[in-house]
Amino acid sequence: MFEALLIANRGEIAVRIIRACRELGVRSIAVFSEADRLAPHVLEADEAYPIGAAPAAESYLNADRVLDVAARAKAQAIHPGYGFLSEQAAFARAVTDAGFVFVGPSAETIATMGNKTEARRRMQEVGVRVVPGVTEPAGNPEEAGAMAEDVGYPVLLKAVAGGGGKGMRVVEAPKDLAKSFAAAQREAQAAFGDGTIYLERFLERPRHIEIQLLGDSHGNLVHLGERECSIQRRHQKLVEEAPSSVLTPALRESMAAMALKAARAVGYVGAGTVEFLLEGEDFYFLEMNARLQVEHPVTEMVTGIDLVQWQIRLACGESLDFDQDDVALTGHAIECRITSEDPRRGFLPSTGHISYLELPSGPGVRWDGGIRAGYEIGLHYDPLLGKLIVHAASRADAIRRMARALDELVVTGVDTGVPFHRRLMLEPDFVNGDLSIRFVEEHPQLLDGPADEDLRAAFVAVALLEHDHRQHRQIPRVGDNGANTLSAWQQAGWPWRQE
Amino acid sequence: MRYFVTIRGKTVSVEVGTGEVRVGDETVSVDLAGIRGTDMSTLLMDGTSYRVVARRDGGCWVVDVGGCHEVAEVIDERTAVIREMTGDPGPSNGARTIRAPMPGLVVRVEVDEADRVEPGQGLVIIEAMKMENELRAEASAWVERIHVSRGDAVEKGQLLIDLAPLSDA
Repeated sequence: MFEALLIANRGEIAVRIIRACRELGVRSIAVFSEADRLAPHVLEADEAYPIGAAPAAESYLNADRVLDVAARAKAQAIHPGYGFLSEQAAFARAVTDAGFVFVGPSAETIATMGNKTEARRRMQEVGVRVVPGVTEPAGNPEEAGAMAEDVGYPVLLKAVAGGGGKGMRVVEAPKDLAKSFAAAQREAQAAFGDGTIYLERFLERPRHIEIQLLGDSHGNLVHLGERECSIQRRHQKLVEEAPSSVLTPALRESMAAMALKAARAVGYVGAGTVEFLLEGEDFYFLEMNARLQVEHPVTEMVTGIDLVQWQIRLACGESLDFDQDDVALTGHAIECRITSEDPRRGFLPSTGHISYLELPSGPGVRWDGGIRAGYEIGLHYDPLLGKLIVHAASRADAIRRMARALDELVVTGVDTGVPFHRRLMLEPDFVNGDLSIRFVEEHPQLLDGPADEDLRAAFVAVALLEHDHRQHRQIPRVGDNGANTLSAWQQAGWPWRQE
Repeated sequence: MRYFVTIRGKTVSVEVGTGEVRVGDETVSVDLAGIRGTDMSTLLMDGTSYRVVARRDGGCWVVDVGGCHEVAEVIDERTAVIREMTGDPGPSNGARTIRAPMPGLVVRVEVDEADRVEPGQGLVIIEAMKMENELRAEASAWVERIHVSRGDAVEKGQLLIDLAPLSDA
C-alpha cells in the first residue's frame, strides 16, 4: 500500500478520500486555495499545503502546483476526486511522468472517454448502442442546424469536452438553435476551455441509469449494479438511488454486459461508470465517466464495497479479491445532493456563511459533507455542500428514512435544496417510482416555498422573538448577551407547579 | 402586545400573551426557548415541537422555515395604524426593479433602454459558479434604465435594471 497520497480536490469528495486513506493507514495530503484555509478537508487531512488564489484556475486546476506539493510532501500517489483535474488526460500523464501513481484510469482512456464524440464513435465500433446523433462536432449554428434536421428535433447541444450539465442546451425548434448554440459555446468555453459543441437526439421521457464498474490491472472487471439518477435539473443530478425501481434482473444483466463491453473496449482499470438513457426496454450509451462519481455512495451502501478504498488499492496494483458472483445487492439506498442553491429561484446559487449546522444521524443514515458551521460558501466552486445518504431494506423504507433524515438536517446561512428534497420524498409519483429525467420540470410544485404548517409556526416564532427582543432592549440585564434561554414557562413557573 | 408579521407578502396578526398567542382568530399555547450561543430556538405550539432558526438582520428577521430562508418583517399595532393612516405601503416595493439574485458576472444584457418586454422575456444573463442564469421579466413593462453592462461583476442585491409599468409610459 502507498505510504502517502495527495488529494487534488476540495469539499466533500476530498473529505471522503481522506476517510478512505485513514482506514487504509495511508498518510493524507490535502491542498487548498486561499479561500479554503478553514475548509473541512484541510482540518481532516494529515497534512495540508496552500496552492494558490481562490479561483480554481489558479489553485485546484493548477497542475504544476499540485505536482510541486506532491514532490515536497513525498506523496506516492495522487487522487483527483471528481471535477477539476480528474478528467484531464494531460494531468494524468503529467502525474505519471513525474513518477507518481495516478488514482484513475490511464491518460489514453481518459482522453478517449473525455472526448464525447470520439467516445461515441468507439462505442459504435464495438456494438454499443448510442443515442441517435452525429459523431462530428458542429462548427457553427448553420452546421448545427443541418445536423439537427438530420437527427430530428428536439435536439440536445452538448460540449465535446463537457460534463455536469455545463454547455448543454435543449433546442425544441429551429428558431431557438442559434441563440442556444451561442450560449452552449460560451458556457463550454468558460467551463472547459473548449467551446466545441455536438448534438444528439433529445429523448422524450428517458430514465438515467448508470452501471458502476471496477477493474484491476490483471484483467479482472466486474460491475456493481446500477444507479438511477433520473431526478435532475439542468442536467445536474439531484437524487440518486440504487437499485433502480424498474430494472428487471434480465435488463440489469444486458445493461451491465453492454457497460462491460464498453469498458473492455478501452482496457479500463479502476472505478468507472457507464451512463445510459433508458426508454422502455431500450437503452443507449450516453457517456463513460473515467473517474469516481458524486453518487458512488449509493452503490457502496447496497454492495458493501468501499469504492474509494478500492480505487486506491487498484491503483497500487492489487487484484480484486472477489468476482462477479460475489457481488450482491442488499436493500435500497438513496442519496440527496445538498447544494447551496435556491429551488424557488430555479436553483440559483446562494452564498453566505453557514451560521448553524445540525446533521442527521440514527439508523441507516450517512452524511458525506464538506462544510462546517462558520464556513463561508463563496462563488468560486461547485455549490455541493454535502450528500445525505440512507440505506434501508426496501425502496419504500428508504424513502421514509430519507424523509426523516431530511427533517433532522438543519443548514442555515445559505439557501439549500432541502425543501425540494423534503417535498420529493412525499411526492406520490416519486414514491411509485414513475421517474424520468423530466421529473423536476413535470413537477414544478416541488420548487414551492414552505408548507403552510411550517409557515404558521414561523409567524408565531417571529412574533415571540420580536417581543422578546423588545423586552431585552428595554431592560438590559447584566451577563445576558441578548439570547433568550429561559422559556415563558420557566420564567412563569412550570404549569404543573402552578397547580 | 399585538404584532403584524409579514412573510412572502402574507401578513398575519399575532397577539402575544403569557404562555399563549392569538394567531388570526385562534388562540394557541406556546413556549419558546432559545439555545444559548446559537440562532436556534425550540417552539412548542399546542404541544407540537418545531425547531426555529432565526436571526435579526437589519430590522427584519431571517427565519428558516422547513429549510427555506424567509425574510420576516414585524411591526407592532401602532406602526400598522400609522401606516394605514398615511397610506405608506412600507418598505416592500421590489416589483419594478431587477436585482442580482446572487453575486456574479454579467454575461450579456439582452434588452435596451426603452424596449418593451413581455412576461418571461430574458433581460440579463448572469454567470455564477460557472452556470449562466437568465433573469426574466415577470410582467409586461418598459425598460426604463439599465445600470450594468457586459463584463460587470455584480453583488447580490445590486440593482441591474429598472422597469416601468406600461401605464406609466
